[in-house]
Amino acid sequence: MISCRAIRRDFGDFTAVDNLTFEVPAGTICSLLGPNGAGKSTTIKVLTGLLPLSGGDAQVGGYDVKADLAELKRSIGVLPDDLGLFDSLTVAEHLSLTAAVGRLDSQTARLRTGQLFEALDLESARDTFISACSHGMRKKTALAMALLPNPKVLFLDEPFEGVDPVTSRTVCELLCHAARKGTTILLTTHSLSLAQSVGTQFVVMLDGQLAWNGSASDVDGPLERHYFELVGSQQPRRVDWLGWRQF
Amino acid sequence: MARLAAILTALGRATGRDQKSVFSFAGNSFFVVSVLVMQDAGLFVYLLVALVAIIPLSTDPSRKIPPSRLGSWPLSRAERWILRIASPWVNPVTWLLAGLAIAVLAGTVTIGLWLFVAAIVLGGVGVSAIPGSFEHAVLRHVPGLPGVLNQLVRKDLRQILSTLDVYLAALLSGVTALLRQSGIEISAHGLMILTVLVVLALSGHTLSLFGRDIPGGLSRYRVLPLRGWLSIASKDLSVLLVSLPLLVPLRPVAGLGAVLVALAIGHRSSVRAQGMQFPWRFSRGASFLPTGLVQAVGIASVTAIVFVHGPLLLVPCVVGWGWSVHHYGQDIDRGVAWLEASVSRRRSIRRPD
Repeated sequence: MISCRAIRRDFGDFTAVDNLTFEVPAGTICSLLGPNGAGKSTTIKVLTGLLPLSGGDAQVGGYDVKADLAELKRSIGVLPDDLGLFDSLTVAEHLSLTAAVGRLDSQTARLRTGQLFEALDLESARDTFISACSHGMRKKTALAMALLPNPKVLFLDEPFEGVDPVTSRTVCELLCHAARKGTTILLTTHSLSLAQSVGTQFVVMLDGQLAWNGSASDVDGPLERHYFELVGSQQPRRVDWLGWRQF
Repeated sequence: MARLAAILTALGRATGRDQKSVFSFAGNSFFVVSVLVMQDAGLFVYLLVALVAIIPLSTDPSRKIPPSRLGSWPLSRAERWILRIASPWVNPVTWLLAGLAIAVLAGTVTIGLWLFVAAIVLGGVGVSAIPGSFEHAVLRHVPGLPGVLNQLVRKDLRQILSTLDVYLAALLSGVTALLRQSGIEISAHGLMILTVLVVLALSGHTLSLFGRDIPGGLSRYRVLPLRGWLSIASKDLSVLLVSLPLLVPLRPVAGLGAVLVALAIGHRSSVRAQGMQFPWRFSRGASFLPTGLVQAVGIASVTAIVFVHGPLLLVPCVVGWGWSVHHYGQDIDRGVAWLEASVSRRRSIRRPD
């Protein structure tokens, strides 16, 4: 469902994603992992048409990200890293916008919006302008926008960051349910425990390149241990003046 | 006192930077053209600009300190009082009022003028004291349209109505309407010039149609399964919905032609080199040379041509506008739009995550 072959994305002299190749089959939840600056968000951006590819080929849901951008956008749901929200619209108006552009009939849109509001605990904020929402509320609004059209492929950049634990669990359940029904999900996260609880495939990136691509069955024990083996654990630098007690 | 001085210095710096952005209109087509063409005769126009600009300048500087930050600082009760009393003086508008008060005492300025300026300043302070008041209370009720573009047009209307450009254009249009209502005759050529000024006042926004959508909104436009021409058309529709009522007391048909030309010329900079815009500021638009100049000449020419030769000349304006919407809509469809947006340039400096 998602297929990347030697994709590359340059920013001037700097290569953010370098020769990245991986595939995500239909109905899979793939967690894209890696330290800050590894190129995870850039990968999501090039696969969703937010940024053009500098090299390589990629297909999402059978559509080429270079040639079939319009069709691709109709088949995917995206939670971008900057959330993609408008300060001048309320939470409910964002959902209404997504429903209208996604050509959902009004009855379906109303039903799905109500259920998403309930599931993500957004009901109290429905008439709040995005500029007045907390970060968590904004994240949940953007997430609801990605889910509302029930797309074939979901790209979620840090869906659990800034979201309370109860909603995180709800989101995990929603994603697992969608994947069981055939939705393909590519998400980035720094929460290794959540990644392991929902992910059926893991792709680890380091400095823009693929470091590891494996399935849940390839991970023996906690994902955290495997991750630290791949990424390496740096000894924290000492800041001797921090703290009051003198030794 | 050292920490109070540090806080006041920081406040002064923040206020100064904020106020610089109010004067961003200095590069706007409206201001440049009125200075170059009208010169001394444009005094009335400059007064209107000052009137519109003084409201955002009159914010209370102490509101720039987030309450959570202010609360966490280890200041004594006396220090908090001193901060409250001293903070308005980091705003040059307070000094302006004080200077005018001295001029009143010296008899060079009338008390009426002082009270008028003071009322505007107090109004600005009052508006800034209510967080998000205008957007949340008034702009909430901006109506939408039926169809796919409903929420996009509503958003765009709210964005336009929170720029100062509209209020400058509305003052020009409103004063003209009042004069005409009160029986004062304005010559046809005078109305034509006022039409050009109103469209010029709105033209800054047409050069940066997506400026208020940076950064998050541009991502949304990129991922929306919406044809590029529709994204641009929704922006243009909201500009037309705001402009047309303002043009009614002037020369509406000629004004419509001028707005269409302004939009057609503005699409290039809006889609290819977008700059960030801020609420309650004049739109900065693209640099005056060459885009602003071409647009200003286009606005003046089309207003004059349609005014002289009649509404049939609107047809080429509509065709040109339609071509522009289609052409730059393709940039959005191809995913190459807004790559030069100011936020992208900033982000490219650091390693993207």
